[in-house]
Amino acid sequence: MTDCLLSARGIAKSFDQNRVLHGVDFDISAGQVVALLGENGAGKSTFVNILSGALPRDGGTIVWSGAETVFRDTRSALDAGIIHIHQELSLISSLSVMENLFIGDYMTGKSGIIDRKALAAKARELLARVGAAHIDPRVEAGSLSTAEQQIVEIAKALARNARLLILDEPTASLTPHEAEALFAIVRDLRAHGVAIIFISHRFDEVFAISDRVVVLRDGRVVGDRPVAETTRAGIIADMTGRAFTFDALDKPAIAADAPIRLKAEAIADKGRVGPVSFALREGEILGIFGLVGAGRTELLELLCGIRPLAAGTIVRPDGIVPTNSTEAWQSGLALLPEGRKTNGILPSLSLAENVAVAKRQKSGGILDLGVEKSLFARFRDALGIVSEGPEQPIRRLSGGNQQKVIFARCLASEPEILFLDEPTHGVDVRTKADIYKQIQDLAKKGMSVIFVSSELPEVLALASTVMVLSRGRQTLLAPNQGLTENDVLTAAFAQA
Amino acid sequence: MTAANVVRFVRTRREATVLAMLVLVFLGLTFASEFFLTGRNLSNVARQISVVGIVALGQALVIIAGGIDLSVGSVIGLSAVTGAIVSATTGMPSLGIAGAIGIGMAIGFANGVLITKLRINPFITTLGTLSIARGAALLITNGNPQRFDNWAAFLGYGKIGGLPVQFILLVALTIIVWLFATRTRWGRNVYAVGDNARAARLAGIDVARTRILVFTVSGSLAGLGGLLLGGMLTNANPNLGLGYELDVIAAVILGGVALSGGRGSIGGVVIGAALIGLLRNAFVLLNVSGYWQTITIGLVVILAVGADSLNRRSEED
Repeated sequence: MTDCLLSARGIAKSFDQNRVLHGVDFDISAGQVVALLGENGAGKSTFVNILSGALPRDGGTIVWSGAETVFRDTRSALDAGIIHIHQELSLISSLSVMENLFIGDYMTGKSGIIDRKALAAKARELLARVGAAHIDPRVEAGSLSTAEQQIVEIAKALARNARLLILDEPTASLTPHEAEALFAIVRDLRAHGVAIIFISHRFDEVFAISDRVVVLRDGRVVGDRPVAETTRAGIIADMTGRAFTFDALDKPAIAADAPIRLKAEAIADKGRVGPVSFALREGEILGIFGLVGAGRTELLELLCGIRPLAAGTIVRPDGIVPTNSTEAWQSGLALLPEGRKTNGILPSLSLAENVAVAKRQKSGGILDLGVEKSLFARFRDALGIVSEGPEQPIRRLSGGNQQKVIFARCLASEPEILFLDEPTHGVDVRTKADIYKQIQDLAKKGMSVIFVSSELPEVLALASTVMVLSRGRQTLLAPNQGLTENDVLTAAFAQA
Repeated sequence: MTAANVVRFVRTRREATVLAMLVLVFLGLTFASEFFLTGRNLSNVARQISVVGIVALGQALVIIAGGIDLSVGSVIGLSAVTGAIVSATTGMPSLGIAGAIGIGMAIGFANGVLITKLRINPFITTLGTLSIARGAALLITNGNPQRFDNWAAFLGYGKIGGLPVQFILLVALTIIVWLFATRTRWGRNVYAVGDNARAARLAGIDVARTRILVFTVSGSLAGLGGLLLGGMLTNANPNLGLGYELDVIAAVILGGVALSGGRGSIGGVVIGAALIGLLRNAFVLLNVSGYWQTITIGLVVILAVGADSLNRRSEED
């Protein structure tokens, strides 16, 4: 490529001991749309964060419009015209659209007073350029829809003379119609010479708007082709071609006449997930796979009564269907939620309390602290929790150990059905192995497990039955016998 | 406990800082005023500590659960006049006691329901009930103080074995609330809810019921506080307890309870209340202007919390 706008060579990055990027080469020219694909954890976000100056790189060079450059922070990348629009939008919702567009530079001149009329006129000009003349620049940004906010973000990028625009899953929360409008803007920007890096999990979008497709896997570029030479199957093969990192665990055979613990018949909430149907038997491990936003967490919440059921029925042998999390735990369900910090730990409370908290809700009012301490000791030994003792506040533990404590909380309540939402998210390899082994042992003893994971190898290694969700719909439900990564990914990308 | 542990305890626990202040003020007063260590004065101090302490016990539970109850001062006024009026009109002091505590309980329960069911912020809700309860007290009395000198008032002015009855109540309630907070499921749920409400809910705790419970306890104890204060003066003034919420919250914070919720000990709260009571007494004995006492209490709160925050920071670095 002769007229490269940006050319990255050998970009490397590690977090602690963990190497995330192994020498990534990447080129993009003005007026080009490059799709950047890869599984969760492949290094996409790390790479674009280095380009936009949000993270320092450990090695490699970046040539920006002909000159070697180091962007020390997002400010300097921004000044150069590299603008990163994150998945979580960053408009200030209580300020008006025009204030958001020109934040940091209200063009006040000497007086220091904002000329609202001039600002509004400039804002209208910008909004018209992105085909959003219907948005009134004087309304609060927070009153706009997600799609409109996204468009305002792009207009804001134009206000800063963007030359390279990084869009991180821009369509994740848009309707197809809104996404189409966004693509029209992207095509227009391309025609005006703006380079665009487009991160998405949706293949149809990738084929619709990109010129080139770059696939990352385990921090390396494994595919870099013009879109015309790319196929859906080819991309999936590139994304998953890695050596299988999990030992194939032996999956317990589920007897066809094993008692059913929970049966879901066409259950759905209001719009995020459903209809979903399955029957969960004693000792069965149901692994649920899907892309971020496919409705996996929502499905678990539905089953645990945390999210109201809008349609369908849940049947359990004892007839109890919980309508809130208290009832769920009392009726023999246990949930390890996604988001350890926000939804899992009670940060200031002791380890013993973090373990005992759910079990307590089932028993009487007076506590026996001695019993709770020995309960903790039991799980400390069984799960290998490294700590200073039962009185230590949980916030002082490492993430992996915190996760084991929350896992112990679930087991301590002696559940019939264990719900695990991303149980190995952000934990190291050894902890992962510990957790897998525990799940398998429990299933052998008759506990039923439903777990959600975005790591495909994990699902295939652990589950006795695999369910795949795509945009809230159930696109696959099959025993994990002879299933390949390809089968599962095809279902995950399916247009249900 | 080794010496190093003791040093660590003193450095890292606000209760310890405040206990040290308490001892200093106590010793200082012993030397500065010949009246301080007299039975009459000490029983006055004990009375002063008692009402703040009893109301602070409830407030502490609310703050540990991540809330705040600004209505306690007004509830004191409303329950004092309710107790006086009910016992006078029915001729049954026991009904007066029930009425005083009952009205406090009702307001606390209402606070809890408004906060959990209508999802109004605790600060706003209790600011509203602060105003409503005070207005109600003035309305039912037409602004006039009510005579309150039947045996129900004995709880406020009486003594048993040389000790003020209200002080005995404080000791008993401290033990009960302490047991509740440390040894019962509901008490520990209070800490869990204040520490991380989302995680607490997902772990099966009934968060709404826990919040309603703490506000109800706080209201009930404020109701008792009103009964005691009215009884002590044998006169229930509708303006009783004006601004009391600030002393109570100061005592709770001095006692080491984190305003962000999830942390704090019941013992600490009583120490905090004792320090405030002692400081108030000091200004009377030393004949310093009452205005200075208000300033000093503000300074002490900032000093204690500031020292604590500095220590905590050096701990975490």
